[in-house]
Amino acid sequence: MRRLINAVSYVCFIEWAIIVGSLTVASRLFRAHRQYANPMIVEVPLRCVTDLEVTLFASSITITPGTLVAAIASGSSSQPPVLFVHALFEDSEESALEGLYDMESRLLAMTRGRGPSTAAHTVKEPDWEEGSS
Amino acid sequence: MNDAVAVTLVGVLGITGSLLVLVSAIAMFRVRDALSRINVFSPATGLGLPLIVVAAFVYDLHAEGFRLGSLLMAIVAVVCLITVSSVASNTLARASVLSGQPIHRKTSPNRLARPPEGVVDVDPDAVDDSEHRD
Repeated sequence: MRRLINAVSYVCFIEWAIIVGSLTVASRLFRAHRQYANPMIVEVPLRCVTDLEVTLFASSITITPGTLVAAIASGSSSQPPVLFVHALFEDSEESALEGLYDMESRLLAMTRGRGPSTAAHTVKEPDWEEGSS
Repeated sequence: MNDAVAVTLVGVLGITGSLLVLVSAIAMFRVRDALSRINVFSPATGLGLPLIVVAAFVYDLHAEGFRLGSLLMAIVAVVCLITVSSVASNTLARASVLSGQPIHRKTSPNRLARPPEGVVDVDPDAVDDSEHRD
């Protein structure tokens, strides 16, 4: 039941992201004197595990205007799978990654029934907790 | 549903949808490389065409009354448009990267070309290449 509610809220979130992204693409056209886009390709280590989760996440990223999956690297036993995402309208790499991880958390809440237990940045550096604590 | 509401709805939805297609086309001229052009295409396929489908459904609803068939057709059309266009954009982007299309020089950071700080990439093909040259 909770997964159903999460699924409906995820679909609404994607619709909202599509509308906001389309408005961004349109409104940037009228800023004639500044640079139209700020392209970057960021690397996103995934917390998604199954094929269904990775496929849904890649499709969600691509359907949102302003972000596009350019390449996928498969994971191994020690490394998570990685998406390379082409982002057009983000200010910095951090803000782009933040938006993508937010979308991923909502997606995992839909497919697993609860949010992911690990925080986003611990995926990239597994030794982080040992060093700081 | 009276005439004025139906005509207004169809007009607003249809014109917004077609304007979004126009916006995507203009935006394609403002960006510089193949990846960005695939990227700014998604307002047209993700929002513009579904809006036109909804406009057609509202027109059908007004002209011929409610039919379950046309509602199903509209829902299937919108879902398929979104799914197919996202998978197609993925495929186009992968094809353009793998075929070696030039990426705009101001793309920064470009993690496909340069790893993050502190990561050393080992190229497993490097030795093979030098052997072939000899």
